[in-house]
Amino acid sequence: MEFCKAAKTECDKIIAKYPEKRAAMLPVLYLAEKEFGHISPEVEKYVGKLLDVPPVKVHEVMTFYTLIAAKPRGKYHFQICRGLSCDLKGCVKIIDYLSEKLGLSSDETSDDLMYTFTPVECLAACETAPMMQLNEDYYGNLTKEKIDDILKENS
Amino acid sequence: MPKITIDSTEIEVEKGTTVIQAAEQIGIDIPRYCYHPGLSIVGVCRICLVEIERMPKLQVACYTPVADGMVVHTNNEKVQQARRAVLEFLLINHPLDCPVCDQAGECWLQNFYMQHGLYDSKMVEDKVKKQKALPIGPNVMLDSERCILCTRCVRFCDEITETHELGIFNRGDHTELLPYPGQELDNKYSGNTIDICPVGALTDKDFRFRTRVWYLTETPSVCPGCSTGCNINVHHNDHRPYKAGGIRVSRLKPRYNPDVNQWWMCDEGRYGFTQVDADSRIVAPQKKTRGDWQLLSWQDAIDEIATKIKGILKKHGADAFGVILSPQMTNEGLFAAKRFFQETLEVENIDFEVVAREKGYADDFLMKADKNPNSEGAKKIGLSAVDNSGLEVAQMLADAKDNRLKALYICHHNLEKGFKKEEVKEALSKVDLVIFQGTNQNSTSNLANYCLPSASFVEKDGTFTNFAGRVQEIHKAVEPLGESKPDWTIFRNLSKRLGKSMPYFEAGDVFNALAEEVDAFKGLSYEKIGEHGVLLNGHRASTEKEMGALVA
Repeated sequence: MEFCKAAKTECDKIIAKYPEKRAAMLPVLYLAEKEFGHISPEVEKYVGKLLDVPPVKVHEVMTFYTLIAAKPRGKYHFQICRGLSCDLKGCVKIIDYLSEKLGLSSDETSDDLMYTFTPVECLAACETAPMMQLNEDYYGNLTKEKIDDILKENS
Repeated sequence: MPKITIDSTEIEVEKGTTVIQAAEQIGIDIPRYCYHPGLSIVGVCRICLVEIERMPKLQVACYTPVADGMVVHTNNEKVQQARRAVLEFLLINHPLDCPVCDQAGECWLQNFYMQHGLYDSKMVEDKVKKQKALPIGPNVMLDSERCILCTRCVRFCDEITETHELGIFNRGDHTELLPYPGQELDNKYSGNTIDICPVGALTDKDFRFRTRVWYLTETPSVCPGCSTGCNINVHHNDHRPYKAGGIRVSRLKPRYNPDVNQWWMCDEGRYGFTQVDADSRIVAPQKKTRGDWQLLSWQDAIDEIATKIKGILKKHGADAFGVILSPQMTNEGLFAAKRFFQETLEVENIDFEVVAREKGYADDFLMKADKNPNSEGAKKIGLSAVDNSGLEVAQMLADAKDNRLKALYICHHNLEKGFKKEEVKEALSKVDLVIFQGTNQNSTSNLANYCLPSASFVEKDGTFTNFAGRVQEIHKAVEPLGESKPDWTIFRNLSKRLGKSMPYFEAGDVFNALAEEVDAFKGLSYEKIGEHGVLLNGHRASTEKEMGALVA
């Protein structure tokens, strides 16, 4: 388990920015997630080695943040908002509908590694509530029909 | 040096002193959970908040260094209100299962709540449920609901043992202390995490549900588990012995000594006291007749043994007599033995060292390979074979095998630890008189003609000399079991019976006589030893560098 040459160079650059190696934990984890898909226990140990900290310190950070994947994620990652504005605009029905369509409940990934379904807190786009994020893109003013279209486009 | 005022008392302290330390110097005890003098400072528990004039908010006393002219209030209305609020916060998810929690009675949540509690909870939300009674290592049990996340145990494993087993995982009210997945809290010092846990989150598998702590009495002593001589308190159950099923000593806890073990002790020493109340204890003098052990009164035992010793010395001379003393004995036991064997009996074959065939575990922290507490004392008192131009233990056994040794007086040793079982058996079977003196039966005592019961380290006063030449006191916590007596008393009584009395009435008398006679101990007295011990002549205190990992 090791970074490829390019990623290792990138990692060294990140570490060099900080007065101590440990401070580079979040950006290095982000890089590791991009490289390895998710942060497995082996990756945790590798990151620990890169930053000169015991693996338990990496695990502390990993469990504190929800943003870095500890398990493999699907090709399509649905992060659907359950914040206050979206709730007021009826996101509960949309969340249930998407969950049913994907056949996944909260925080699950399909066996074929195509889809991951994660209800999340506010994504700061209340003006388009109810909304969700699919991989890097925002989709707003969601309706059941719109969900159907999005699923058709991304399958 | 900065001058500051704490609760209207003016005090001058070293630069860099924190407010909590300065307050301690004038006897003001500021509540604390996460702060521990042996660990780094993190300031996470917030119970030590104090008001410092001209600062807009309350400050943590553990992390704030004093500054000249600082005026601190540790117990005004504002501070008390903050403490109430912190406790309220800490108890939001606490299970309040004090009636079944082992920490009750020595729990800092209970103690501070008595002083500063809110009493009527304002919370209506359900408590977050977490794991209870989770074994996280061979010695430690975790109750996550009781944990207040002070991180003392995490820092202990990071900074003292550097084993990094523990971490704080997840977030918010789901935050939880746990071992790293797939790992156990299994290091040689894991028991210390239980000591420094201020609440009932980490409890001792060896002590859980055994007894309420307020039934225990503490007696200061020294761990006999190796030559380091960590300072300990013996916790013994004097109040309700009938509830303890014959177990008088409940647990050992480390006792602070800046020059030896600081706040810590190893698990081997902590859990190594079970022989004290074991069924194998020798509780009365006994002799073997036709293969069966028969109990004797002390008077009969002393009479018979004295007569037999006299007979052998007369018939075969002092060369046919061997003495194997033990570094498990106190300085007092060894010195009384020296006087008895050398002066009363004029025997020269005296040795104490039996090198263990299996090397004991050692590290660069507290654990030494020599698992005896008083090897240095025995050497300094002059009990090595070389000091007496007599036979070494191995030679004694060889002579015994060749019928040249007629009597052997063995103290405490299990000779099988140093020699092959058959060798010991063959040698001892050829000696006319084998006397074993010790606390517990072992395979050597089983080969003796007479067994004399010694008091164990928790049953007598005395001193051990550790590897660095530090003389430290042990104290009697419980009465000697059965008829057992301190070693020095047994030698005194034997000596008197054989014509030379020793004017010793307590351990201190023996020590003071030893201090007069043995060069290394010159100038010391029993009264001077004190709670942290004193160094022998020619020894110096360990430097910080030598103490290595001890200095956090």
